[in-house]
Amino acid sequence: MPVEQAGTGGLADGGQLFAGYETDPAFYDEMFDASGAPRAHCRELLAALGGTPHEEIAIMQERAERSFLHEGITFSVYGEEGALERIIPIDIIPRIIAAEEWDFLERGLRQRLEALNLFLADIYGPGRVIADGVIPADMVRGCPQFRIAMRGVEVAHSTYVSVCGTDLVRTHDGFLVLEDNLRVPSGVSYMLANRAAVKTSLRNVFRRHRVRGIEDYGRLLRRTLAELSPRGDSDPTIVLLTPGVYNSAFYEHMFLAREMGIELVQGSDLVARNDFVYMRTTGGLRRVDVIYRRIDDDFLDPLAFRPDSVLGTPGLLNAYRLGNVAIANAPGTGVADDKSVYAYVPEIIRYFLNEEPLLANVETHLCRNPEGLEYTLDNLDKLVVKEVGGSGGHGMLVGPHATPDEREAFAEAIRNDPANYISQPTLDLSCAPCLAEGGAAPRHVDLRPFILRGQEMRLVPGAFCRVALTPGSLVVNSSQGGGGKDLWVLSG
Amino acid sequence: MLSRSAQGLYWIGRYLERAQHGCRLIADQFETMKDRPVDEIDKSWRRLYQGLQRVPLGGELRSNLDDEQFMLVDAYTLADDLTFESANPDSIRSCLANARENARQVRNVVDEDLWSCLNLAFLDLRDVEISDIWKDRPNEFYRRTEDAVRTFFGIAESNMYRDDGWQFLQLGRFVERAQLLAGLIDAQLTVYPVGGPQADPDWLSLLRICAAGDSYGRLHSMQFDPAAVVDFLVADPLVSRSIRYAVARICEALDAASAGRPLAVEAGRRAGRLAALIDYDWPNRDPADDEAIRATLHAIGDSCRRLHDDIDDAYFSYGIEEGADA
Repeated sequence: MPVEQAGTGGLADGGQLFAGYETDPAFYDEMFDASGAPRAHCRELLAALGGTPHEEIAIMQERAERSFLHEGITFSVYGEEGALERIIPIDIIPRIIAAEEWDFLERGLRQRLEALNLFLADIYGPGRVIADGVIPADMVRGCPQFRIAMRGVEVAHSTYVSVCGTDLVRTHDGFLVLEDNLRVPSGVSYMLANRAAVKTSLRNVFRRHRVRGIEDYGRLLRRTLAELSPRGDSDPTIVLLTPGVYNSAFYEHMFLAREMGIELVQGSDLVARNDFVYMRTTGGLRRVDVIYRRIDDDFLDPLAFRPDSVLGTPGLLNAYRLGNVAIANAPGTGVADDKSVYAYVPEIIRYFLNEEPLLANVETHLCRNPEGLEYTLDNLDKLVVKEVGGSGGHGMLVGPHATPDEREAFAEAIRNDPANYISQPTLDLSCAPCLAEGGAAPRHVDLRPFILRGQEMRLVPGAFCRVALTPGSLVVNSSQGGGGKDLWVLSG
Repeated sequence: MLSRSAQGLYWIGRYLERAQHGCRLIADQFETMKDRPVDEIDKSWRRLYQGLQRVPLGGELRSNLDDEQFMLVDAYTLADDLTFESANPDSIRSCLANARENARQVRNVVDEDLWSCLNLAFLDLRDVEISDIWKDRPNEFYRRTEDAVRTFFGIAESNMYRDDGWQFLQLGRFVERAQLLAGLIDAQLTVYPVGGPQADPDWLSLLRICAAGDSYGRLHSMQFDPAAVVDFLVADPLVSRSIRYAVARICEALDAASAGRPLAVEAGRRAGRLAALIDYDWPNRDPADDEAIRATLHAIGDSCRRLHDDIDDAYFSYGIEEGADA
């Protein structure tokens, strides 16, 4: 939308930074409404930033990114050149969520995680949800993430998922859940780093808003993990299990270990002996009560899962099954964020909670069903097709952007193994103003809040807000040119 | 403390001490190159390389003694080898990169200020090349780099909680120092035998590398007696860059870290024997007998290497059964 049409009191008032900002009516804009006027909860920000020359904002942003580099807030990319440490670029203009919007999201997220935990307890226990025909048995038990070793294991407070990172997007129809990350969700350190950076750069603007704090996350996570301790004592030994420095999320592992004041261990630092788990310290072996693992199921214990893995701790799973150590998230949670099980989450919520789901799913076609397969193949040019077990934006086809050859190749793959694919419409992700050449410009965004559950559920009012920095791009993954933004939840 | 974290701190200590030693060696070499004759400069390079037990890239140290220009070219290549060469694991840049990589892996137990100091020192150095510093004032570069290491240890000294983390940082630093000094003094005696012709600058330079020139000068009224200099750097517990001083710090750190750990007995014993060797046997040797002195220095270097293994066995990679009994 050209500036002239924005009307007085709208974009034009934004001053220099927003002088050239043009919203696209096809997408919900987080800052401006359809008439071009700033949304009520964004007026203050627009007034504060609007008068600032964009060069000044650009300098702040550059400084923030340099501080990331100096503090080593980086992720590693491995390619032909060896390891490269990169920062996740920050866009300094915050995204604001109004108090009532957050209240709704919070209720929806709590509801969803409650149901997913009940679902996991059920499929690894009595299996009522399958017996009652809510979800097909083979979809659950045939899922590669289903861990037969978890059958009948007693899990503290029935909490299978202690840390959940749910990806949400907003369209003109409201918020949608894009996926639930129930295995080892990452990104929370960037949520905190972006907040710290923006608080420093825009301190006067920040102070004028009533932004709810998120700095408590480390303490809440620690309390959550402590609640899972099999010894039930008040000061359990908790460790964070990382695959090591070569993992792209290593910075986050280190950061969280420090925030919680716990040891950061690798598989080789742990020893399972007589069905207990110990870590190797300078004072000898010391018993471990809770393992916050940031490593996939496959690499936990070579005796239980993957015999070729050198990362794991032999005997760990046995100690876990006997209740001598807690593992968070529990092994086998991946079955609940499988992309075909995803389609059943609304039903799962109704079944276990007897409530209507608050947060909507994205319309999903399962190729395992004949009608889903037919619809998908007929509309490949309009759909996004995903492998059911894929993640990180890999193993997918974005129909509208693919060539006919690519579509044909994918169609072939789908026909060969229909159950491995689902399709969804391409989503009109909302846009938020981001700093671009010459001023603010709209870029697509999503958000990933983090929900914790030990004995009870907790979440900080915030999220890692991801941004597709390339104009027009809908891909927000940091491995594919995405960046981050601070997200402000206002108090009511 | 988690063994791997302690091990990381130990290696940070070792690498930074090594980097600092490298800075001091090269800075001193530049002093020598200012006004000393060509063959003396050549000898000084030999001492430097032998002390590090390194062979220069290209096989051997070959100076063209008849050609001063050539000498400068040599210096350029050698300084590059010792400072930036990535194939040289002991080059200053390699040491800082390794120290930083260790710190990155155990960052949750490294104070923020320490990390930041080390990370910035590494980033400062990462993209510099010998040609950048050569045309300018190379001395300043080595001073700045050494200052970064000094700042690191200064912050550690003032901020660190004196738990095992601190003790292992100390251990790494002083095991490395003792070993480097034993190598350097041994090389000095090879290149400038006590019985041979002596020139004051050769011994002043050794003292300068050990930051001990001023204190020696005050004690001995600037009389550079080779035997006295060697004594000073081996046995004087008050010289911070003496072997005896380093051994004292090792003993302290081991005492503190191994309280109640039967496994650590071997490391403590070896460090104690090393201290006793210097305190009780060292003064008994004939000051003119280079061979006897060098044999003792070899024994010291050897002890340091075994000490390293003892520490590794006792604290970092002990067997499961041993650990459980501890």
